[in-house]
Amino acid sequence: MRGNHHIVIESENLKYEFDIKRNITVIQGESASGKTTLIDLLNEHLRRRGAGGIRMQSDVSCAVYVAGEDNWEYELKGLSGKIVFFDEDYRFIYTKEFAEYAGKADNYFVFITRKPLKNLPYSINEIYGIRTTGKYHFPEQVYHEFYPIYEDKCNLIEPKARLMILVEDKESGYEFFTKVSDACKTVSAEGNAGIFPKMLEIPSDERVLVVADGAAFGAYAETVVKYAKKNGKVGLYFPESFEWMVLKSGVLEDNEIDRVLAEPENYIDSQEYISWERFFTALLIEKSQKERYMRYSKTKLPDYYLEDRNRKRIVDVIPEEIRMLLE
Amino acid sequence: MLRIHFGEAENVEYGPSWFKYNYKPEWFKDPFVQEMVKAVDDSTYIDGLVIDSPVLGPIPPERLSGGVKTLIMIYEKPELVFDATSCGQNCAKWLLEIGKKKDVTVNLEYMMMFDEYAPFEIFVTNEGHVLNNAEDLFLTAAKYI
Repeated sequence: MRGNHHIVIESENLKYEFDIKRNITVIQGESASGKTTLIDLLNEHLRRRGAGGIRMQSDVSCAVYVAGEDNWEYELKGLSGKIVFFDEDYRFIYTKEFAEYAGKADNYFVFITRKPLKNLPYSINEIYGIRTTGKYHFPEQVYHEFYPIYEDKCNLIEPKARLMILVEDKESGYEFFTKVSDACKTVSAEGNAGIFPKMLEIPSDERVLVVADGAAFGAYAETVVKYAKKNGKVGLYFPESFEWMVLKSGVLEDNEIDRVLAEPENYIDSQEYISWERFFTALLIEKSQKERYMRYSKTKLPDYYLEDRNRKRIVDVIPEEIRMLLE
Repeated sequence: MLRIHFGEAENVEYGPSWFKYNYKPEWFKDPFVQEMVKAVDDSTYIDGLVIDSPVLGPIPPERLSGGVKTLIMIYEKPELVFDATSCGQNCAKWLLEIGKKKDVTVNLEYMMMFDEYAPFEIFVTNEGHVLNNAEDLFLTAAKYI
């Protein structure tokens, strides 16, 4: 399954409107924001086949998981080309077995949960809350929309103390950031689970800029972002991935890359790529094959990408307010 | 006192389901329950089993949020351990308020923030001691979540 899917579901009193564009979407947020009501509306609409006073617009069909914990493989086996919604009370969605299934499924999944799904590589950009907009009071129709919980994730810090760059990557991405700034020490967290423990090791007189692959950092976002906000010495940068930065920079000078990056959801098949990060790696490897000197490898970064001009173009992908920290 | 077990735990009860099939009408006569319903769901208890929601109109208790249903269960059944992961950030104050009235134990599997209510008294069952400040609580919770 691929593409961006715009969904509207409404009754005379309630309306929800949102887009689902990756295989994994998570909805969380405060109590009483309307998460379970959304599931109830969807479920009622599907059960009554549209005859329950609830209207729905969607270019793909949706399903709400209502079966048990033990037979989920059987229940989900036949589903294809659907957006499947799960309310918060299913334990199997946290298992490795479910992650294996979801990584090959021709479906998108929407989970209502505050608990991190550590076996699934989901994006920090696809974690949403629900909010109501405008003045409202029953019986007027109340409009609900999604908002990205980590939209304001830059978390600027004072450019005074020594800066350490803490990179999730341990290979090419790490190698690149070691060459970005002479003034900064670069440390690898050796994976997204290593970011928070490394943040705790920062000496009190240093600041840190965390660089992690946003496309797969969803399960770790809450702890890292909340700690950064409390601590005040942690800056955050979550590009989709290092490979996305290289593609975005234009160093490969390929117009098709720009078209893909403008709407990646139309090119990334959920059955082939469990996360966008993996797609961007595959795309960079494919697009860099035309010349030997630029052939990208995840384990060893070719010198081409570290040459002054190309390095600067990749660094320019970083938003200016974060780039300033590196100078 | 409020006791919290962070991370996965066995034999934890799911509040919204417990509430749906076990709530008692007289619970809503308690001003403390009414206060929680007002604060978390912005809804006003009217009488009998009628609650006025600004979004849904007049509703029965079954249509309260999962968060406030879980708070009510924690308060009314302190002998059980409920999964407070069903409670959003806007329930943090009320978990502490319940803990001031009764000894309760809850399970939490996300980083609920208690910073604005410090100093507080929270017994962390994973570690077996009381924490009073937000920094220590955050770092302790992060070890288990």
